[in-house]
Amino acid sequence: MEKDRKEGIRGMANPGRYGIERVAYWLMRITGLGLLVYFIGHIYETSSLLDGKAAWNSMLELTQTTEGHIFLALVIGMCVFHTGNGIRLMIAEAGFGFGKARRPDYPYTPSSLNMKNKLCIYVSIGLAALAMMYGLGVMYDV
Amino acid sequence: MMSSIMRESHIMKIHYLTALVAVGFVIIHIMVRVMQGFSDSLEFENVIANYKSIPYAVVLEAMLILISVHGFNGLRVILLELKQGNAYENAVTYGCLAAMIALIAYGSRTIIMASMGMV
Repeated sequence: MEKDRKEGIRGMANPGRYGIERVAYWLMRITGLGLLVYFIGHIYETSSLLDGKAAWNSMLELTQTTEGHIFLALVIGMCVFHTGNGIRLMIAEAGFGFGKARRPDYPYTPSSLNMKNKLCIYVSIGLAALAMMYGLGVMYDV
Repeated sequence: MMSSIMRESHIMKIHYLTALVAVGFVIIHIMVRVMQGFSDSLEFENVIANYKSIPYAVVLEAMLILISVHGFNGLRVILLELKQGNAYENAVTYGCLAAMIALIAYGSRTIIMASMGMV
């Protein structure tokens, strides 16, 4: 406990200590910020339409590369994870999937951090991976 | 603070609602790309034709507004988790609001001009 306090924000942020829920906490924020950056870039990219066909094609060339396709696959993965985990959080915030309130007995396992929630996180990660593979298939016309 | 304008619980309801509706619109947006063939759908003429379709332009505008509101409110929430204080919270809230309005205006300009054929 003493060690926990000494670590401050770094201890709170440590994704390795508190299990998959803390990993999901960080992934939710990282994917959210990543998607916002992509969205701003996408708005800027599509605005090149107004400068004519040549400007659009040269902007498009940036994404029609292997690096561009990998980046878009990552965006698809971020989008699917953020959606799946976001729906889990909405359901949890509505009070579902927490288990019943009970007397706190040793070893004080919180009922809110149960297998249902863990499973949803793993399913979100799995769906994100599948969507990335599907997206790469579409982009490479496989 | 945003909470002096609107209750934080209401802001979170808007956050969740914009997310759910935006997911529906994003699915439509992706389906249009995939159904036309990904590479073909990105041809200049096809993209302009998409914008000139009024229902699709409405979907794009709705998506722009919904994702901007959701995205910048999400950014605000993340920034408020890091640090608190009246001046900081006001700066974050109004900064995110200004950025959101600027992005919606910039994106709307593209949608309106492309759909009216001003290309």
